[in-house]
Amino acid sequence: MPGVTSDSGELNSLSVVPHTLDTQKPRVYPLRLHRVTRPLARLSISWARGNTLRVSLLQTDDAASEQTPGGEVVEVKLGSADAGEIPEAQWRRIAYGSVAPFALLQSRKNSMDALHYEKDWWEHVMEYSKEINSLLGNTKSSVPPTIEDPKTVLKKVEEPTSLKAAWELMEMFYADKQSQTWIPERLLDWLADFDCLFSGTQPTVHAKLVSFQNKLVTIQAVENHPEYWEIMSSALAVGWLDVVVKLLRLHGSYLFDQLGSREIENGLVEAVALLISEMPRLRPDMPTEKIGECYSTKPEFMKAWEKWRAKITKLDCSAFWLQCDHQQTRVGLKNMLQVMLGNASVLSNVTYHWIELYISHFLYVRPFTVGLESMYSLAQKCMHLKPISYRHKLMGLIIGILEENTEVVLAECSRSFGPWMTTHAIELMAAGSTQAETLLHEEQSKIGGICIEELHRLTYAQILSSHALTWNIAPIYLTSCLKQGLGLLENLLYKQPVQHHLVLLKSMEICRLNGLDYVSYNMMKIAGVHYWKHGKKGSAVFWLQQARDEVRLNRIAKHLFDFVGKSVSDESFKQWEGMIELLGTESKTAGGLEFLKKYRDFRRSLQQVQEGITTDAARKAAEALISLMRNPSTPQQFWLPLLYDSLKLLNWQEGPLLNVSQTNLLLNKLQELSLARLLPGFVDAGLPPEALQSVRLALATNLGRAILEE
Amino acid sequence: MALSPSTHPVQIHKLPQFAYIDALRWMPHLSTFTRHILLATYDSDSSTPSLQTLTFCPSRAAPSLTPQASVTAPSRITSLKISPSPLTPSKPIAAASAFSGSLLFYSADLVNGTLNLEFSVPEKGFHLGPVSGIDLNENGSECVSVGEDGRVNLVSISAKTGFRRVFDSNGLVSYSSVRWASPVEFVTGAFGFGLHWWDQRKAGGPVALFKDNWTGGTASGIVHAIDIHPSRKHTCLAGGSSGTLFAWDIRLPKQPIILSGVGVGDAPANSLVESDIWEVQYDNYTHSSKIINSSSSRILPAMICSEDGILGVIEQGEEPIELLAEPCAINSFDIDRQNPSDVICSLEWESIAILTRP
Repeated sequence: MPGVTSDSGELNSLSVVPHTLDTQKPRVYPLRLHRVTRPLARLSISWARGNTLRVSLLQTDDAASEQTPGGEVVEVKLGSADAGEIPEAQWRRIAYGSVAPFALLQSRKNSMDALHYEKDWWEHVMEYSKEINSLLGNTKSSVPPTIEDPKTVLKKVEEPTSLKAAWELMEMFYADKQSQTWIPERLLDWLADFDCLFSGTQPTVHAKLVSFQNKLVTIQAVENHPEYWEIMSSALAVGWLDVVVKLLRLHGSYLFDQLGSREIENGLVEAVALLISEMPRLRPDMPTEKIGECYSTKPEFMKAWEKWRAKITKLDCSAFWLQCDHQQTRVGLKNMLQVMLGNASVLSNVTYHWIELYISHFLYVRPFTVGLESMYSLAQKCMHLKPISYRHKLMGLIIGILEENTEVVLAECSRSFGPWMTTHAIELMAAGSTQAETLLHEEQSKIGGICIEELHRLTYAQILSSHALTWNIAPIYLTSCLKQGLGLLENLLYKQPVQHHLVLLKSMEICRLNGLDYVSYNMMKIAGVHYWKHGKKGSAVFWLQQARDEVRLNRIAKHLFDFVGKSVSDESFKQWEGMIELLGTESKTAGGLEFLKKYRDFRRSLQQVQEGITTDAARKAAEALISLMRNPSTPQQFWLPLLYDSLKLLNWQEGPLLNVSQTNLLLNKLQELSLARLLPGFVDAGLPPEALQSVRLALATNLGRAILEE
Repeated sequence: MALSPSTHPVQIHKLPQFAYIDALRWMPHLSTFTRHILLATYDSDSSTPSLQTLTFCPSRAAPSLTPQASVTAPSRITSLKISPSPLTPSKPIAAASAFSGSLLFYSADLVNGTLNLEFSVPEKGFHLGPVSGIDLNENGSECVSVGEDGRVNLVSISAKTGFRRVFDSNGLVSYSSVRWASPVEFVTGAFGFGLHWWDQRKAGGPVALFKDNWTGGTASGIVHAIDIHPSRKHTCLAGGSSGTLFAWDIRLPKQPIILSGVGVGDAPANSLVESDIWEVQYDNYTHSSKIINSSSSRILPAMICSEDGILGVIEQGEEPIELLAEPCAINSFDIDRQNPSDVICSLEWESIAILTRP
């Protein structure tokens, strides 16, 4: 048995130690106990939902008193405490939020006809993708500070997650058909947002920039620092033009007191800044804070590009450089011009990992690259120039996308970002290309005839099912699975604990929404039996009635009647009123319990008789008696008490209330009863021994009077 | 005459909580500008149920909730009720019933930001299994509790000890909710759309039973919530399964007025909700002018929240008004008594929504 320790000392030190082979040190999970105290008699452990253990602790008899309960059940969640990049509560929030967009997309998919599918589908997918993306973190539209500090070149934003980065990559390459023509520019924006994610494992432009910005406050004349020039070349290479221009304006020659003496130097700095801000970009538009000139069509862009390049070359050959006294400025600016002219060795020097180099090549070496194939060959070249020292999970994803290998992309998604990502990103991939769609939707015999899309949905639904707060969204994903979904949904519903009233109602709501009436009925039966076992007879009858389960109602009726007071004078019958109300009207299934109602009505009329009212009332009571005795559902153990209680009716002074055939019926019943007495399993009514005699006598007398009457 | 939402938009703000919200209530106002909310939450990561008070800062753009005080509860909370303390207005009393079967009384000090357990009724002998409903009477001196075990108990808050058993049906009837009607009378809701009227002056059982034959024998359900308006103590409003909302006038015990529901009796055809109604409260805010003109037999407008994610107002003979429609269940809500335009509700997906009506 996995090591269970219950070392001496504090109660709180009681803990479960899981038995694992691969870790050297066992992990200790403290049990949070609220109610039981030492000593404990027994402890048992079983699996609960997902990766939680259910630990039941039972108190020894002498420790359990009137005030303390006899035991406690606690759940222990196994697993690492460090939940990774995204904490569990955040994951749940993402899971909740993605339900509605996912469901909407599925219903659109089902209602869309093939004709419109091709044309407009990606727009729906984009809408879906945007909604999902908004769940993954704040968009960058934070409120700008009212007083801008010239020395903050990088805006402070919330640390992005690689999940968001991965989602945006998928969206860019698969879903967004509008940006297909300017993917390099989109990649540039993407790197600007997420370069910081790579900082943890390798040097990046972003990390360098952040560290330089921190130093900036203390630096007096920036232009004397080689780092200033380095960082500007780097930022320029990856296309963060606004940052570069901002940094250039910090150059000492802009200061009023120096403007006069460093006129030429300042002119060169400003000329470079101007050139940077005039850089043509192949994209339809840009956020306001970004700089450059946008061209949406390729011919226009090419023309502008040539012109811009010519300007740079002209400036590079200018005579002013010789007149520039400040050496660092001269070298630094010249280096930046080399970046803009696309000098491959300079670009390689100023960038830190292959994606940065890749972006710089797009910007300054091959600005007209289109098509995934050429993008992939360029990526390979960059990876060759800057070998990967640490393979970040995002890099794996990018490579998979660029080499157009759907399997690799799927595997990377699933390995690095988990089932949530795979399930939801499949929608983007399927919209991306026909080849991917075929692969995802093709039925695979090796996984039991389901398709890959369904496989991943089922996996994700399984994850959702393993948590008490998310199990009820799993049906959304299961119902989108054509082959195995419904079966697993049934399984999931049957596994829910019926003893939790609210969980039961939730399961039944899920059944109602999905038309699973038979599951609902079965669950109500299970609940009915559960409540019956726990003494909640009212709830038990209610649920069995709702399930229309006559068999079980009849069976529990037999047991219930043992508790019903059998004498009219028995006061305890009053508490049955509520139960009888529950049984409701005739049309409802009540099984053998129907007797309770008739019995109640008979008792009522008999009580009136005993209070000494008219013959009419007595006649009614007698009718009720006959109908009760005639009814096959009236349990045998009630026959004699019923008759004994109605002695007054049988001996009615003003004439017999029962006719011959009715009296014969009662006599027959009495005969049957005396025979039944001999059988095993007979329940004695606990009446005085002379009861049978007096009933028999009264019936005989009544028979005589009735015969005379007729 | 539903207010068109385009001309008078209801402001809705959703605030994620990262814990499941079992129940929530507005606290009595301390001043015009400071308001507080009491939450019963369940943190599934640490498996900790707790009660916490939060300070609510109303703002058109982004209202916020700041945690003030928090205490761990022994088990999850099934029902939560608040009553102002007559002597110290800054320390309202909160009664919370636990899933484990105990009843806890807290005093919340809104000035100093503390939440203290005053006393608790231990589980043993109180209820078997969870307490399904509680209610505090108007002056906060007595608390009535009911359970699925069929017990009805009274706890006197001033005595601070023990409880008095009003009735024990030995499980023959399972109670799901309870509401005071007057200082000595209360109504319990049960399975099978049962409503029982109790009078403390008459021992030995309910004084009136509401007959469940109006559903036409087709559907039955559970009463999840009851409300009784202080000005009309004879009318009991109950909401439950299948979107059913009905009013029972104790003076006319055989004729319930069905305000909403699916497949029950003569319910209006356009039902706002189809699944369980979790909470019902008379809505003092809606059409306050019309109430004066209407006859006393008319049922006052009521707010409901439902399993299918609807928060709405239902009024007799009017089109129902939908205030909020969510993809997940709305488990509970509370209308601020002193400022009925503001409503808070708890969403199944671990968040709170705050609505401010125009």
